[in-house]
Amino acid sequence: MTAPALPRIRRTPEQGSRPFRFPLGKSFATFVLAPFCVLMAFPFVWMLLTSLREPNTIFGGPVIPDKLTFAGYSTAWTTIQFPLHLWNSVWITSVTVIGVLVFATLSGYAFAKLDFPFRNTLFVLLLTTLMMPATALIIPLYLQLKTLGLLDSQTGLLVLYISGSAPFAMFLMRAFFQTLPDELIEAARVDGGSEFTIFWRVILPLTRPGIATVVIFQFLQTWNEFLIANTVLRDTDSLPLQPVLFTLMGQYSTNWPALTAGLTLSVVPVVVVYVRMQRQFVAGMMLGAVKN
Amino acid sequence: MATTTTTRADPGAAPVRRPQVRANRFGSPLRRSQRVAGYLFVLPTFALFLGFVLWPILRTIYLSLTAWGGFGAPRFIGADNYTRMLGDPVARRALIVTLVLTAVTTVLLTFLGLLTAVLVNVVWKHVGVLVRTILFVPGIVSFVVSGVLWKLIYDPNIGTLNQVLGAIGLDSLQHPWLADQTTVLPAIILVTIWGGLGFAMLIFFAGIQGIDPSLYEAAAVDGANPVQQFWNVTVPSLRVVTGLVISLGLLNGFKAFDIIYVMTGGGPNHGSEVLGTYLYSLAFGSTSGSIPQLGYASAFSVVTMVLCTLAVIAQLWLTRRADR
Repeated sequence: MTAPALPRIRRTPEQGSRPFRFPLGKSFATFVLAPFCVLMAFPFVWMLLTSLREPNTIFGGPVIPDKLTFAGYSTAWTTIQFPLHLWNSVWITSVTVIGVLVFATLSGYAFAKLDFPFRNTLFVLLLTTLMMPATALIIPLYLQLKTLGLLDSQTGLLVLYISGSAPFAMFLMRAFFQTLPDELIEAARVDGGSEFTIFWRVILPLTRPGIATVVIFQFLQTWNEFLIANTVLRDTDSLPLQPVLFTLMGQYSTNWPALTAGLTLSVVPVVVVYVRMQRQFVAGMMLGAVKN
Repeated sequence: MATTTTTRADPGAAPVRRPQVRANRFGSPLRRSQRVAGYLFVLPTFALFLGFVLWPILRTIYLSLTAWGGFGAPRFIGADNYTRMLGDPVARRALIVTLVLTAVTTVLLTFLGLLTAVLVNVVWKHVGVLVRTILFVPGIVSFVVSGVLWKLIYDPNIGTLNQVLGAIGLDSLQHPWLADQTTVLPAIILVTIWGGLGFAMLIFFAGIQGIDPSLYEAAAVDGANPVQQFWNVTVPSLRVVTGLVISLGLLNGFKAFDIIYVMTGGGPNHGSEVLGTYLYSLAFGSTSGSIPQLGYASAFSVVTMVLCTLAVIAQLWLTRRADR
């Protein structure tokens, strides 16, 4: 185990004076990391390869199929109404992200920069329940929607998603707002702007990185949510992707190409968003880590 | 508005203003508008919180003291659900499995996360970026996707794991991984590590990047070799970050549900039953017959909430201790 100082020390010699020194530490580290990478990547590679197989070749045949086909994809796309569920996932996730963003920026700003009585009491109250998992709350949440007549409706699901995620996003946004100088807001107040104008015109444009972080975080979480969606929605047509993939496992227990094709299609948006917004995501995580 | 504040703030600033605010119930116009805005900004989030977080928590606690099938009024039975839990072998099994799963995954994630983060920090920059991405991607796909994927890999007949074992001549190791009580838990733990390692690694990596380089330079000047530097600089500097990884591991372990529900449903014969899957089957599933046992299931919700609260307290304790 070589200490992290090595890259700093080695960088300059590599360019000039000692070009022939074998980078022992780096090679060793790469050697140790390689099996981790293989294990981590293997299921995805296997998923892709299986999704391209012909339906009747999974019981034998070579690891890398000699003939690739998109039959699995067309089966998954047409027979389970994939576009419908994809659309459900897209719009449920979008509305949740926007809703959470509205609630979290407003309250996060108030908790970070506005002075009002009981501010800390309210904040602590929100904070103490931040980590309550859906697993523990699923029964009362189900009953709550039943009472409100929102069971088996996407509106009810949205209400649960937004209310469940807004406090944590508020916490993240508050950390971002706290980094802004008070003088900025004071100056805007002296200029006579209303509190909302200040928030909307002056503050929000400065918190784009924070907003990007909340957006990607919330997108991943909502897109991947399974427990609540699977519990409160019964009507098949209104289901987002995750519960559908779960039922797909039973329906296509022998048609693995179609099953893995469905999995692959459901993962594409997540990977695209992650690759495009990796930097914000990592930044947000670091902020969360530092903050916590 | 602007004139009153400037004249008031200019001469004596804070010492003068404070008592005035206290004397006047409504404060200055400026502070009052801030107060109104503060409440208005917080109100939407707080209303949702009261209706869909705080109230459900209180309701679960109440329901856990009742017997209720979902129709009519819940019948108050005091702590009977909790005494019943003590005598229920499945409940005991679920609690043990939850604790074992949590402990093993937390230890492994902390150790492997630190190991990979240190190594990623050592290798060439481009290799590091690649490795970080590869390790992290399993963490961004849903538990349903990873559960289904690994269930196929573990499949006893045509699963890749058994096929690979057969191909390299280890037929004797072929196994119905998820259908055997002794292997089901390790199999699930492997999937949990697979999904969580990237996140743990990234947190550690961020922590390592945040260490002041002069500490290493000072250690090197004092003649510390890389291993000594690791133990005397890296590890102590990462105490807060380690506390974070540990508490996240605890939290994720206590609330485990999705992966197990998808892969085994708690089986075989409750071999992988955790608190989450058991309470779900009691409330919504078929194991309880046709009548849901919402009161008894709520008692498991309360146990889960208590465990998660302990995890949060552990986090505060682990991270605060290091700060001071």
